[in-house]
Amino acid sequence: MALEIAALTKRYGEVTALDGATFAAAPGRLLGFLGPNGAGKTTAMRCVFGLVRPESGAVQWDGRPITDADRLTFGYMPEQRGLYPRMRVGEQLVYFARHHGLSARDARDAVATWLERFGLADRTKARLEELSHGNQQRIQLAAALVHQPRLLVLDEPFSGLDPLGMATMSEVLRERAADGVTVVFSSHQLDLVEDVCDDVAIIRAGRIVASGDLGALKAASGRRHVDIEIAGSAGRWLDDRTDLAVVERSGDRLRVVADAALDLDELLGLARKAGPIVRFAYGPPTLSELFMEVVQR
Amino acid sequence: MRRLSAIRLVATREIRERGRSRGFLASVVFTQLLIVAMLLLPRVLGGDGSTIKVGLAEPVPTGLAAALNASATPYKLSLILRTYPDRAAAEAALKTGDVEGVLAVPADLSGPGEVVVKGRPDSRLQAIATGAVTGLRLVASGISPAGLAAAATPPTLVTLGPDRVTDDATFFLANIGVILLFYSIYSFGFWVLTGVIEEKQSRVVEVVLSTVRPRDLLMGKVFGIGLLGIAQLFLIIATALVATALTKSFELPATTLPTMALMLVWFVLGFTLYSTAFGALGALAGRLEEASNASTPISLVAIASYFVAIIAVTGEPDGLIAHLATFFPPAAPMVVPIRAAFGAIGPLEIIGSALVTIAATYALFVVGGRIYAGAVLGTTGRMKLRDAWRAASR
Repeated sequence: MALEIAALTKRYGEVTALDGATFAAAPGRLLGFLGPNGAGKTTAMRCVFGLVRPESGAVQWDGRPITDADRLTFGYMPEQRGLYPRMRVGEQLVYFARHHGLSARDARDAVATWLERFGLADRTKARLEELSHGNQQRIQLAAALVHQPRLLVLDEPFSGLDPLGMATMSEVLRERAADGVTVVFSSHQLDLVEDVCDDVAIIRAGRIVASGDLGALKAASGRRHVDIEIAGSAGRWLDDRTDLAVVERSGDRLRVVADAALDLDELLGLARKAGPIVRFAYGPPTLSELFMEVVQR
Repeated sequence: MRRLSAIRLVATREIRERGRSRGFLASVVFTQLLIVAMLLLPRVLGGDGSTIKVGLAEPVPTGLAAALNASATPYKLSLILRTYPDRAAAEAALKTGDVEGVLAVPADLSGPGEVVVKGRPDSRLQAIATGAVTGLRLVASGISPAGLAAAATPPTLVTLGPDRVTDDATFFLANIGVILLFYSIYSFGFWVLTGVIEEKQSRVVEVVLSTVRPRDLLMGKVFGIGLLGIAQLFLIIATALVATALTKSFELPATTLPTMALMLVWFVLGFTLYSTAFGALGALAGRLEEASNASTPISLVAIASYFVAIIAVTGEPDGLIAHLATFFPPAAPMVVPIRAAFGAIGPLEIIGSALVTIAATYALFVVGGRIYAGAVLGTTGRMKLRDAWRAASR
């Protein structure tokens, strides 16, 4: 079932947090929700859970406005992590599972499964505050997953995680999507998003400036990036070509941005004359480049 | 009823988490000790009112012990008699406080003997000794014991006007009641405040509110903590009744049970009123350190109400201030039970006061619930009342 954010508008006094934001997230796919700080990501996510009421626009689930009953099938991990510090891990997860409508027995079974999965079965009776930071993050994720949600919304799930935690997080998110869950998460780690996501939605000042399939977005970009390294060239061989923008130069290596209509043969010819080619890579922009392109436009 | 089950879940969590917290256990122990101490204090300070220890110096006339006990019955006193080998030994026991008086009577009843006391004589001891010794000597001079018993029956005491003993007891109980009510309403209400701040500070509230409505979360919290408060109050009342029965410190006035039932009812009303206000103000605070600052307005009202109840109402339970305070919701929970204890309030006034308090609580819940909803997700530290009100409307 799909999540649709349609023309959401939300103001806080003078500040416009959302300005007609529109995008959709499809079941079985991971959507990376990207944007600079203060662009409106958290506000949009809060709208999904009714924590913020937009002035106009709608959030729809499966083609109709979200009800309280729908929200029980959603899982949420807010940016500001929060659990009860003094409550026991097992009881805490059971508590959240039951708020999502699970029976006491189903809740206990589900909690046991997730604690087992995260290798924390022996900490069931520990108080949350007794756990390491990394393990607390795992419990936070478990709290969002314990009721088998159909929609998963995670605000900055990778922030503060060590590489091991990040690996677990991406694995779990991919697995949920493969299970048919609609997954939306925000992040500033664009390389990671590029690896993990199927779709992206990029927001700037409350408006969605790009959204859709990541591969298609990159391909549709009017620009191409060329990565060239020529031994002993010191990277100066393109200095007289004003139509090509050199965006990066380090040693013999150059990274060039060009229009999609660039004559690749001609560039390759120039490179050959400059010296022995060590590297020549041509392709659409990376997500980071695409991001910079659309948010700075 | 999805919302009801959410409220129940929240309440159950509060009961489970708070019920086994050190704070709650300490509060239970503290109040139990307080109540036992209050009931025992008059006994410790004023001595035991219902038994007297009397030392008898050998040789003791035959039948003296029985005569003393018989003589003590009309005074509702029980005597503990200890016999010492001679008068010097008995007086030594008096000096160390083992007995409260010594009776030395010639074994052949040739004289009236002596009652020896330390300091102020107990008039009852004097009367009992007089009765017993005179009786023994009269029997020895030939009067039949049956005739003596008939002749020695004292006149029945008839009291006109208020019974001072019961009145004192009422006053004492009413004071304990107000202190308990004030303590319970305030301390459990304060828990709602700290609970709200803890959830806000730890940010867990955002996770909870993704499935629970803000007002339901506040209501569940108030219910759960309120039930703990009722449990503690029940325990206090039970302890008080048992301790009073065991120590026979004073006779309980006839209004005791209805007064205690009324106390429970008014705890519920008062707690709901105060904790709703506490919840709303808690949501405005950002951190636990701000808890006492945040609660200042409520504390002032609560303390003022407490003093009105203690000073104005105990002095004149049927006076103008007492009547006015009955219809002032923050004061009513303390004023109504105390007036009832003095029999100075009718059922209609009680019902009227309860209705006014319930109406005020409802109004406060509508207003406070909105403030709570608007403020509890705020992340910018201390929030202004006006901003919270506006935030909730958005």
